Amino acid sequence: MRSIEVRHYEIVFLVHPDQSEQVSGMIERYRTLIEAKDGKIHRLEDWGRRQLAYPIHKIHKAHYVLMNIECSQEVLDELTSAFRFNDAVIRNLVIVRDEAVTEPSPLIKSKDERDESMRRGGSDDATEGAPASDESIEDEPASDEEEATAAPSDAAAQASIAERI
Amino acid sequence: MSRFFRRRKFCRFTAENVKEIDYKDLAVLKNYLSENGKIVPSRITGTKARYQRQLSTAIKRARLLALIPYCDSHHP
Repeated sequence: MRSIEVRHYEIVFLVHPDQSEQVSGMIERYRTLIEAKDGKIHRLEDWGRRQLAYPIHKIHKAHYVLMNIECSQEVLDELTSAFRFNDAVIRNLVIVRDEAVTEPSPLIKSKDERDESMRRGGSDDATEGAPASDESIEDEPASDEEEATAAPSDAAAQASIAERI
Repeated sequence: MSRFFRRRKFCRFTAENVKEIDYKDLAVLKNYLSENGKIVPSRITGTKARYQRQLSTAIKRARLLALIPYCDSHHP
């Protein structure tokens, strides 16, 4: 057994859209912070810039990052204080998990489709097009598959609502 | 006449033997939200108590992260 107690955590944090370019730097910083103390990152997902369901500090979009990590209490304290004192982080959520989660989350799959529809609409501002373009190319085949799976569930939702009434 | 036939409710999570409801799975969570963003009671959806508790924490987490709205009239 290890002398230091480690737990699994799942962390999501929202970054101010104007500081979106800093996200990769922030992830690197947290990675070194975690790995310096023998922690592990089991899953790291960059959901990119997403529309918020409601405005936070008059912001309507935010850059989401998900991390599943394994670390000691000490490292977690450092991370949470880093979130607190970083003005770019507008919100964060830390939950304890029982084991390492590595499979991709449902949101990263739906994200591609969202990007697609946005580009088709052409409502994107200039700054957003550049970082998103390289990842969207390889994800192209997944997006229409997603569309197909999303449609029946939507129909099911409609049906269930109708049923209730 | 008053005997209107209603399809039997069932708990989706029990049927699919879900281990844990994920707050990131918005497609699932949206089925259990009313139009104004409220959580639909289990007496209407038929969700088992164990899963209704999980569902409510999952929805509350998703709300915190602005993945789903708290209500339908957030100030723009």
